Amino acid sequence: MPLEFTLNGQKVSLEDVPGEATLLEVLRQRLGMLGAKEGCGVGECGACTVLLDGKAVNGCLTAAWQAAGRQIATVEGLAQGDELHPMQRGFVETGAVQCGFCTPGMILTSLDLVEQEPVPGDQQIRRALAGNLCRCTGYHDVVRAVRRGAKYMRGEGEEQ
Amino acid sequence: MSLGQSLIRLGTEAKVRGETRYGFDMPQAGDLHLACVRAEQAPAKIVSINPAQALAIPGVVRVFTAADVPGEHRLGIIAVSRDQEFIAPGLVRQPGQCVALVAAETPEAARAGARAVVVVLEQQPGVWSYDEAMAPDAPLVQPDNPGGNLLRENKIRRGDADAALKDSAVVVEATYTTGRIAHCALELEGGRAWLEGGRVMVTACTQNPHYDQADLARFLGVGEDRVRVIQAETGGGFGGKLDLSVQPFLALAAWHLKRPVCLRYTREESFLATAKRHDLRMHFISGADEQGNITALRARIDGDTGAFASYGLAVNMRAAVHATGPYRTPHVDVVARMAYSNNTFNGAMRGFGCPQVALAHEAQMNALAAALGMDPFDLRKQNALRHGDHTATGQLLGAGVGLSACLERIEPIYRKWQSERRHADEYREGVGVGVMFYGIGNTGASNPSTAQLEWRPDGRVTLFTGAADIGQGSDTALMQIAASRLGLPMERIDLCRGDTDRTTNAGATSASRQTYISGNAVMGAAANLEMQLVQGAREMLNQRHLEVELKDGMLVAADGRAVEPAEVARHLAKAGGRARGEGRFDPNFTALDPETGQGRPYATYAYAAQCARVRVDTASAMVKVTDVAAAHDVGRAVNPRSVQGQICGGVVMGVGMALMEHYQQGRTDNLQAYHIPTAADAPDITPLIVEEPEPSGPYGAKGVGEPALIPTAPAIAGAVSQALGRPMRHLPISLERVMEALTAAEGETTRED
Repeated sequence: MPLEFTLNGQKVSLEDVPGEATLLEVLRQRLGMLGAKEGCGVGECGACTVLLDGKAVNGCLTAAWQAAGRQIATVEGLAQGDELHPMQRGFVETGAVQCGFCTPGMILTSLDLVEQEPVPGDQQIRRALAGNLCRCTGYHDVVRAVRRGAKYMRGEGEEQ
Repeated sequence: MSLGQSLIRLGTEAKVRGETRYGFDMPQAGDLHLACVRAEQAPAKIVSINPAQALAIPGVVRVFTAADVPGEHRLGIIAVSRDQEFIAPGLVRQPGQCVALVAAETPEAARAGARAVVVVLEQQPGVWSYDEAMAPDAPLVQPDNPGGNLLRENKIRRGDADAALKDSAVVVEATYTTGRIAHCALELEGGRAWLEGGRVMVTACTQNPHYDQADLARFLGVGEDRVRVIQAETGGGFGGKLDLSVQPFLALAAWHLKRPVCLRYTREESFLATAKRHDLRMHFISGADEQGNITALRARIDGDTGAFASYGLAVNMRAAVHATGPYRTPHVDVVARMAYSNNTFNGAMRGFGCPQVALAHEAQMNALAAALGMDPFDLRKQNALRHGDHTATGQLLGAGVGLSACLERIEPIYRKWQSERRHADEYREGVGVGVMFYGIGNTGASNPSTAQLEWRPDGRVTLFTGAADIGQGSDTALMQIAASRLGLPMERIDLCRGDTDRTTNAGATSASRQTYISGNAVMGAAANLEMQLVQGAREMLNQRHLEVELKDGMLVAADGRAVEPAEVARHLAKAGGRARGEGRFDPNFTALDPETGQGRPYATYAYAAQCARVRVDTASAMVKVTDVAAAHDVGRAVNPRSVQGQICGGVVMGVGMALMEHYQQGRTDNLQAYHIPTAADAPDITPLIVEEPEPSGPYGAKGVGEPALIPTAPAIAGAVSQALGRPMRHLPISLERVMEALTAAEGETTRED
């Protein structure tokens, strides 16, 4: 079937998308958006997280057709050229990135959280990220990263 | 001086942009896709494999079986126990072992092809535990193994443990068990291979590219020069990417088909086909005198390595060597045995047996303290290894023993948490402590690393290292060491890593060895480069005996003249030479005596002490680890934030080991059923860095990767034991086990009433 949606602000039109294709498969295999990862294929790890109309969803559980006519954001669309998105800066500066495989999903889930809660507390951050598994960091620096990224998004400066 | 600074790790920006390409992300248009046909029954004889239906599927190109393997079938990193067949030749030894490999034009066709291959198996009797494996007349898992189903026995004998136990004021005895654990690196195993000039190129996730090259050459029956391995960016390993995974399949298919091929495991396949942490059963008898000095340890450790040895030998030896924990123990009698079974194989995972034995030695310390009427923290301080002590293997510890310093850092936190401990009807709280030591590098064996540093004519420097960065940060640590040694900012140095054509062997990223061993190789390369630059500068200045030194990136002569190293590089280039320093480092060790286990297995040890605070909900039996404080003696923190990151990651992996993780083949084969800690499960962590410099380390550094995990589960087990008022000796401390303990405790209370 044909499929049209907006990807990182740009319209995309695809032909011959199988009805059973997942959004993750379409993003990775048809559109070369490799920032979203498959870590389990069953919606447990969150490595495939993308934003669907601003809401964090598991790309591996979302049927491609569900994206029709809607806005999809992936990690590739966040930075403006050389300038990182404030949430990306938060992750870089706090050392929250080790192997980095879970990082795109973590960042996108954090953006959904901050959209709803501009000043998230640590427990809110932990609950929001509970669907994004990380085996490297112990989440300690990830929580700091989200706090810092949220602060930058509010236009406030360096976290002390 | 970049050493000791929390510099942002190399590659971080690409990772947050989603631009990093892991082995997993390699497929390109036109690649063939591979899929493994895996046996469901084991052990089993392969009666027949019929590929006809698979080959009839459009897009399926070829079905490989063991008959297509041109070289050796049996691979494995430890040369004396190479026994893993990537495509089973005749006999399936474990469930999930690959019996055929399908290559197709699309991933869908490859998967459909794999389902369509008809495999007829004839089930054989198997053994499924250490006890079954060691029973008389048990069926043999690896009939070629000279010990039958016994892979190895390791003994550590020092003094007279039996006599010392008889004379001890207190003796405590118990059996401990741990569960099998899956690494669950977030990146699934993946990679790509192709041919170039008659050579096979393999890029895949790995912790050891040079080992991969050697074993792939063996598998293809060609010289190593015909195989090039390029480490792809690797999304976590924790020991699970030390064994080969997708690489033999990739190399075989590319070799035969002469087309680029790619393969990626599913999570289910990753669970089934890669190593797990060994489950160990540990029977410990410990004694102490009236003053609380440990007198002796008698320990028997039984392990099941599954169908393939993998790192079973290393785990067995490490478990034996570390069984006493970091305590002075004059009399030691440890026997560790590792057996084959038909279970999916166990191998290396963060700590190689030490996290398992730490459960036992720490619980024994708590039991001794209780028997003596002593404070368990004081007992640890009193017996902690110090400079001048000997380990169980008779190794004299010189400098670099930071255990007492770790305990000092933890003690105020431990005392405070103990004083805040509360019990209510709805919950019970407990605080526990875990202590460890960990030998850096391989046990009683040579494990060198090599590195090169080249000062290029354009003024930049390149560091060449075979050390695989798998997310732990060795790239940045080695660059910081190089930059500091050469007096340059890190930005002036380029990195060439993990490519067997361009770098030399650094050994495995395992055993917490890269900072210490490869860091020292980098130091050696820098010293060698400096010597060449100094020689070159003398030539250029026409004074053979002039004193010249490399200072802040400049060659400064005693007479005040200065030469840029790049000028020297250009000068050498004119004569066809290069300013390229070579470094090699192999830790100072001796092999262990096979009968007594005496010797110097490691050049140096890392030390750590952690304490954990837990709250047990009496109604639901849920255990929440609320806080962990972790003090680690790393010698010198090359990059403090990286060290803290390793500590926090290790602690949370320890939470999983303590409370949640238990791999059961066929039942927990995805993350829905096998749970690892989430952000909501993770405690508040206080990482504390202790720096007791190791004289033989680069700038005094040791390692932290595995030590970060080792004390956590013992500390949590101690805390839950205190909360429940009874020792928890079996991991994981699952809901069922807590419920049982709560019910038993309640029964006792009722009886007392």
